[in-house]
Amino acid sequence: MELEQILAKQFGYTAFRPGQKEVIEAILEGKDVIALLPTGMGKSLCYQLPGYILQKPVLIVSPLLSLMQDQVEELKRFGEKRVVALNSFLTISEKRYVLHFLAQFRFIFTSPEMLLQQQVQDKLSQMQLGLIVVDEAHCISQWGFDFRPDYLRIGQWFSQANRPPVLALSATATNKVVNDIRDTLSLDSPFEFLYNVDRSNIHLGRVVFEDREDKAHWIIQHIKETAGPGILYMSSRKRAEQYSEVLIQAGIRAAAYHAGFGAEDRQFIQQQFIDGELDWIVATNAFGMGINKSDIRQVIHETMPANVENYMQEIGRAGRDGHPALAVLLYCDDDVELAKFVVTGDLPTSGHVDRYQELLYQQTQPSQMLKNGELSETAFRVLDYWLQQETMEQVKVRLNHLALEKYRAVNEMQKITQTKDCIRKQLVGYFGQTLLKKPENCCENCGINYDEINKARLKEEKKIEMIPWKSRLKQLLMGF
Amino acid sequence: MFHQILLQIFQKLNNERSISAAYHVLRGKRSGQTIQDIGLFQLHKYFGLLPKLSRATFDEAVSLFLQNSWLIMQESGHYSMKKLGLQQAEQTPDFLFDGWHYRGNEHIFFARLSLIVQSLSYQRAGLRSFSPISRDTNIQSWVRTFLLEHNYQDGHLQQQLLEECENVLSELSLSEANKQLVLYRLSGYGLPGWTWQQLASERKEAILDCQLAFIELLHVFLNEVHQTTDYPLLGKIAEEIRVKALLTDSAQQTAHLYEQGYSIEQIMQIRKLKQSTIEDHFVELAMYEPNFSIGPFVSYKEAEKVWQASKQYQTKKLKTLHEVVEGMSYFQLKLVLAKGEV
Repeated sequence: MELEQILAKQFGYTAFRPGQKEVIEAILEGKDVIALLPTGMGKSLCYQLPGYILQKPVLIVSPLLSLMQDQVEELKRFGEKRVVALNSFLTISEKRYVLHFLAQFRFIFTSPEMLLQQQVQDKLSQMQLGLIVVDEAHCISQWGFDFRPDYLRIGQWFSQANRPPVLALSATATNKVVNDIRDTLSLDSPFEFLYNVDRSNIHLGRVVFEDREDKAHWIIQHIKETAGPGILYMSSRKRAEQYSEVLIQAGIRAAAYHAGFGAEDRQFIQQQFIDGELDWIVATNAFGMGINKSDIRQVIHETMPANVENYMQEIGRAGRDGHPALAVLLYCDDDVELAKFVVTGDLPTSGHVDRYQELLYQQTQPSQMLKNGELSETAFRVLDYWLQQETMEQVKVRLNHLALEKYRAVNEMQKITQTKDCIRKQLVGYFGQTLLKKPENCCENCGINYDEINKARLKEEKKIEMIPWKSRLKQLLMGF
Repeated sequence: MFHQILLQIFQKLNNERSISAAYHVLRGKRSGQTIQDIGLFQLHKYFGLLPKLSRATFDEAVSLFLQNSWLIMQESGHYSMKKLGLQQAEQTPDFLFDGWHYRGNEHIFFARLSLIVQSLSYQRAGLRSFSPISRDTNIQSWVRTFLLEHNYQDGHLQQQLLEECENVLSELSLSEANKQLVLYRLSGYGLPGWTWQQLASERKEAILDCQLAFIELLHVFLNEVHQTTDYPLLGKIAEEIRVKALLTDSAQQTAHLYEQGYSIEQIMQIRKLKQSTIEDHFVELAMYEPNFSIGPFVSYKEAEKVWQASKQYQTKKLKTLHEVVEGMSYFQLKLVLAKGEV
């Protein structure tokens, strides 16, 4: 069967999106592949479709449990029943069951932590896999921002002689990170597909302010006058809530979104946004993963994100329908300090290294630190990994280095906020690509007229009113 | 609503416990002390209403009460209600919670109902795929079985469920606004639910109060469903939601050994537990097991003396009763108080 036929039959799509076919063909030829595709551009299809051709299970290693769950749900929505998530959420008996029937599944999702377990490794080595997928592969690189030590630990697992082809997937990665991925996973002269990071229908605005009050004023004014749907990214949960309050007061249909809300509330907000009941989401960077809304017209960053990768991913949520969209980066002098404070807040410090050793001397489990809330889970994972490999002094040097790397990343982002050159060219260049063509209204420095991109906001959006319970019940169940 | 509930609990605890006792009641702590307090002070409706209540939220409310001079704190951590506080408590409405029988399980019921309604809503719209509102695989597989068993593909389930929900809600003597609240925590095709924040701001109250109104409605709803056989679908969805075994597991085991004829000392040895723990189990039994007789431990005459003293001095404080009624152990006093006046 032609690939297009399988695409239509299994997934109901009529055409591949850029890059998908090339990647799939390389996999089917038995090659290792590194594919850099932005989120929302159908990364998952690159392994989903081969799953129906290879006749052997596809193993997907995914570092984020929530993402794993999304992907499992997605496959189930396509009617796939032979899909399983082998992760720490399973009870002992569930896990035993899954392991016993592991070879029967078409898609097996698992975490790096799970892959480290002997019984899982044993089971997998008895099986014949069709493909191994490493999702969010940039987490492998210690130069990456979400470095996951467990990925390094499973590295040797990929050096086995008779392993199936490996597909490393990531949304964004620099050359340095790509090299790390290739080395750590022992990829054999892989086929590399690097998606063009430039999105020409996203116009890049930037506004510089004296202080935060000026910014606030501009934001409220701008949102009052221009049309959504839009996302306003904030640096903290608290500020997201404050801003959403102010916007609601100003008559804007807005809501805050961050990881502190319950799962139902988060889904309600997403659905309201998709259904057009909300025009603005005021969010922390927790918002966006798995959001399928193609007509987002604006993305505003109240302050600079921690790095260029995040920035690209966040503005990339605008204009997926191909129509013009506006991304505006707001900046004032204090922002760099704030960003540096935020990015290192999650790193272990040399104080933590000492404390770890102290607990070991006291014959206490170092994980006690985690229980006491002395540091975050990510921070502890990094600390724990390196202290098992190296001496205290070496680890301290390393942590220092990591902090510097994060600062460096902030500085890279700062360059974008200050460049007098074409912003698009800078962004594309950061990912090692060359900008071929500048669109109209390219960016703040090339010349941009927001009014040509934004539509004016219609004054009277209909506010959603509550209806009596009987009517609502009927609507839910009977549809009228 | 949260403040009103807290005032009621403090009032019922009659200045005889520390501030924390109220916190443990709301969180549904399964310790001997809290379980006994529930019976002694008739706090059943409040038990386990807010299993995740943070100490900070609780303390905030208490310090507000102190500021308002509704109560004063003593150094021991005990409190006493002042006249103003008692007056406030008198003005609070009679809530219809049934925490003792649901203990947070009402949320499981609602998760099932939400996913069923969502599935039926999308099915009616002709869509097979959607993002399930509950990610919990237990809930998902329960709902899948339910839908299949009720032949949801025939398309009649919507009408049946609509009728049952409408009938139950119409029966309930709760405000229209609270019924509306619950309906807006459900979602369906093209009909997203509302977040707590959105609901709270629409109702002009605190988020916690919104959530409590929601819980109260679910308790009353579930009690109505359990009362009759008129609601076969909802009865099924509420399956195993109401707590049947009211004793703690440990007390259950002690009760089992006692029924087989073992003495307290023997049970201590078999279970390798302290005497006080086993005694607490008997107090629990006295409280919640109607067939359990305290006769083997206390004579009727002695029990009568305790009841009289408790009335005369208006207290359930063991220390006071121990002084007033001579020759009785704390264990005996607890048993008598737990059994209540016959």
